[in-house]
Amino acid sequence: MLASLKEDLSLTDRVMMLCAFMLGLWGVFCIYSAAGGVTGRGFDYALRQAAWLFVSFAAMLITMMIGHRKLLEGAYYLFYLTLILLLLTALLAPKVKGAQSWLGFGGIRFQPSEFAKIAIILAMSKFFSRYPPLDIKTFFAGLGVIALPVLLVLLQPDAGSALVYLVISFGMLLTAGTPLKYLGSIIGLGLASLPVLIMFVLKDYQINRLLVFLDPMRDPLGSGYNVIQSRIAVGSGGFAGKGFMLGTQSKLKFLPEPHTDFIFSVFSEEFGFIGNLILIALFALLLFRIILTGLKCRDRRCKILTSGVASWLWFQMFESIGMSIGLTPVTGLPLPFLSYGGSSLLATFIALGLVASVYIEEVNTKRRF
Amino acid sequence: MEILDNRLKLFLYCMTLSFLILISGLYFCQIYQGDKYIRLAHNNRLRVMRFAAPRGEIFDRNGVPLAVNDTTFCIMGYPLDLNTPEKLERLSKILKRHGIPITVEDLEKTIKQQRLAPYRVMRIVPNLTMPQMAELVADYEFPRELFPLSVWRRTYPAGSLAANVLGYVSEISEEELKARAEDGYTGGDLIGKSGIERSYEEILRGHPGQEALEVDARGRKIRTLDSSNAIKGEDLRLTLDMSAQKLAVDLLKDYKGALIAMDVNTGEILVLASSPVYDNNTLTWGVSAREWNSIINNPDRPMLDRAIAGVYPPASTFKAFMSIASLEENIINISSSFVCRGGLRLGSHLFKCWRHSGHGSLNVVGGLQHSCDVFFYQVGLKAGIERLVKWARNFHLGEPTGIDLPGERAGILAGPDWKERRFKTQWLNGDTVNYSIGQGYVLMTPLQIARVYAAIANGGKLVTPHLNIKNFKRPEEIGINPEKLAIVQKGLEYVVSRGTGSRAGRFGVSIAGKTGTAQNSHGPDHALFAGYAPVESPKYVAVAVVEAGRHGSSVAAPMVGQILAHLLSH
Repeated sequence: MLASLKEDLSLTDRVMMLCAFMLGLWGVFCIYSAAGGVTGRGFDYALRQAAWLFVSFAAMLITMMIGHRKLLEGAYYLFYLTLILLLLTALLAPKVKGAQSWLGFGGIRFQPSEFAKIAIILAMSKFFSRYPPLDIKTFFAGLGVIALPVLLVLLQPDAGSALVYLVISFGMLLTAGTPLKYLGSIIGLGLASLPVLIMFVLKDYQINRLLVFLDPMRDPLGSGYNVIQSRIAVGSGGFAGKGFMLGTQSKLKFLPEPHTDFIFSVFSEEFGFIGNLILIALFALLLFRIILTGLKCRDRRCKILTSGVASWLWFQMFESIGMSIGLTPVTGLPLPFLSYGGSSLLATFIALGLVASVYIEEVNTKRRF
Repeated sequence: MEILDNRLKLFLYCMTLSFLILISGLYFCQIYQGDKYIRLAHNNRLRVMRFAAPRGEIFDRNGVPLAVNDTTFCIMGYPLDLNTPEKLERLSKILKRHGIPITVEDLEKTIKQQRLAPYRVMRIVPNLTMPQMAELVADYEFPRELFPLSVWRRTYPAGSLAANVLGYVSEISEEELKARAEDGYTGGDLIGKSGIERSYEEILRGHPGQEALEVDARGRKIRTLDSSNAIKGEDLRLTLDMSAQKLAVDLLKDYKGALIAMDVNTGEILVLASSPVYDNNTLTWGVSAREWNSIINNPDRPMLDRAIAGVYPPASTFKAFMSIASLEENIINISSSFVCRGGLRLGSHLFKCWRHSGHGSLNVVGGLQHSCDVFFYQVGLKAGIERLVKWARNFHLGEPTGIDLPGERAGILAGPDWKERRFKTQWLNGDTVNYSIGQGYVLMTPLQIARVYAAIANGGKLVTPHLNIKNFKRPEEIGINPEKLAIVQKGLEYVVSRGTGSRAGRFGVSIAGKTGTAQNSHGPDHALFAGYAPVESPKYVAVAVVEAGRHGSSVAAPMVGQILAHLLSH
């Protein structure tokens, strides 16, 4: 067992793992700084996040040892299980800040919506490689399958996760070879239905977030407040930042949710433009390595799988950083690796475990049988 | 396969592009516009102020104000402007010059307590009068970054006369803040802690206003970015009659106990007095820990509303209930009579009548009139405890009456099951005998007694006692034969006109009622009287319970008589 783990580790993509681990570690420090200002219990939060990081890393290794092949075999069952869990969450979970996203089992609480991303990626990889969405019929069949988890998570209501599911699916459809005119028309349809969404589907606070995105000063007391303060935090970081633990925006409690949604603003304020460049470089390296794995492997399913993982991490990173400087609307999605939260961290590392497993089995030719 | 790789490459290019966009965005924000944001962060200019909404005011049934809002002034300021000892010293000096004794330590303490965020305004000095504030602002040394804010202060003109009814408001505690996180409270808000103030918190509290200001570096307002007005809470009119309430508190002055008066048909509470009293004004304006402890640890427990949360044996007032139950169950009728020879022997124990020489032969009317214990011992034994408990349930004894006040007690509706659970022993015939005269395992609040007598007076309807005049609930029909009820009414009438309760009838109105003397293991007996008036068409019911008052006939009966007379003559 241990011997095989050792062999796996020697064969896997160590660059990717190192990037992930460094990002996670940096996150622990940021949480210490960010939570310290608000709750005065920064150490508690950091310790808990560090424990989660350890557990997540272990989970990645376990995923690697089980291997992506076995998991792909059981992909549909995982998918069904996920649908049930999402339904249970929407029905049973207590409301936290207006949304039900937590399920508890004997003291342990987790967010099924995070783990659903893994199940969706596995199931879609299998489905799209068996039925490539090349003609209109299979394309729509694929869309139908995607619609299930999206609708269930919207019931919670968790529009942020629904958005991530859609982006993941879009990335996988793209990689699976869907004709570009199909994808183009989907985007066109999406844009065209925006007025309908605004009129009938979106909640008041969501519309408000969109409007505030266009003009933060329209609601400086409410949702605009976050955007303004976040931008001040990032901007005042300047070139070299104010230094670790020295950010005033977060310490003086101008920033809302500094250790979760707005962790990047805290980071940016303290580490400045230089810190941001390093952070983005780490993310870029990680994502390039994931796609490289996809390019090098010789299995359709695995190519689609890596694109799913990449689009997930890429989108949450882009959205979270973008919103802190007002490039994108506020959605409340966590920044992978850095935001406080066990479920998100664990799910991210399990997904990386899948990619690592692909790398070992399909890419690294040194593997002996 | 080829197309898949092409797509992955396309993906790669798009991602690279997105990284470039992010980096340019960050460059623009942090380098190009960096100075601007550094300045903004340095003197973060957005400040948020919150105005408490004036609380809804409370009046008695005739419009007499019971809880109102006075205007006072507070000195407000931002933590950033008071961050050095010198600034505090200067402020304290100016305050002292105008006769406001506030030391630097006091200031430090208030600031530490309220500090949430530097842009969040704090109350530095509370409760100043208009002249005080005017003088201060006129002082050329008064720091310009501090400013006055008019606030509402809750006062209770009736003070201790109705403190048990109105309750008091006070700053929200941390636990309450956590428990009501969804309801939009913030630290420093006032919240109803007891009484009407608590039960109608939602209606009374109103909606706070907010103002977002852009200020300069010294804290002066440049412009208002956004504001919303405070909305006053809804006013409340109570059923209470303050003139009668005042009389009740005066009557109870030298005793511990409760005095209640209620409309027999609607359940409107006109008098709800509990003694000893406390002053809710001091509690609202903030008391020292020592004062608070002296109220809480007072052995006479002034904060206990004896009218709704004091439980007593109903004693002989229970005999009216016994009569109804046994008549309705056909255990007795108008002509059934029992003989009293001063006691009833049960096994080896002799249960005595209060009149040791005995009452001779009596029917139910005579039994009530003379409050003969032996008569009701025999009625109780003949009926059996199960039937009595069934009727106690019909009258909802052992349950809160549902009055719109927090902290009401349910009393105890005893019975064989209850004794089994509580003491693990069997119900004995002796227990039934005690039960029949309202002693032993039966405890009621004065309000529950009033409700039973209201039902006797109004023809068998169980009202819901209430204080909010809009909170009338349709009474519940118990289903008592009017002829049988008339027998009991006759008995109660005789109690006052020619029996044990004659002292209730000396105030010029016709009263029917019942005395009670409850054995008290801790000291002298409690005195009770429950009665209604006028006898011809009952309008009000009143109950007096006087702890250690010895005899219901001598102490409690005149109280009820005076209250009923007062209510009927005004």
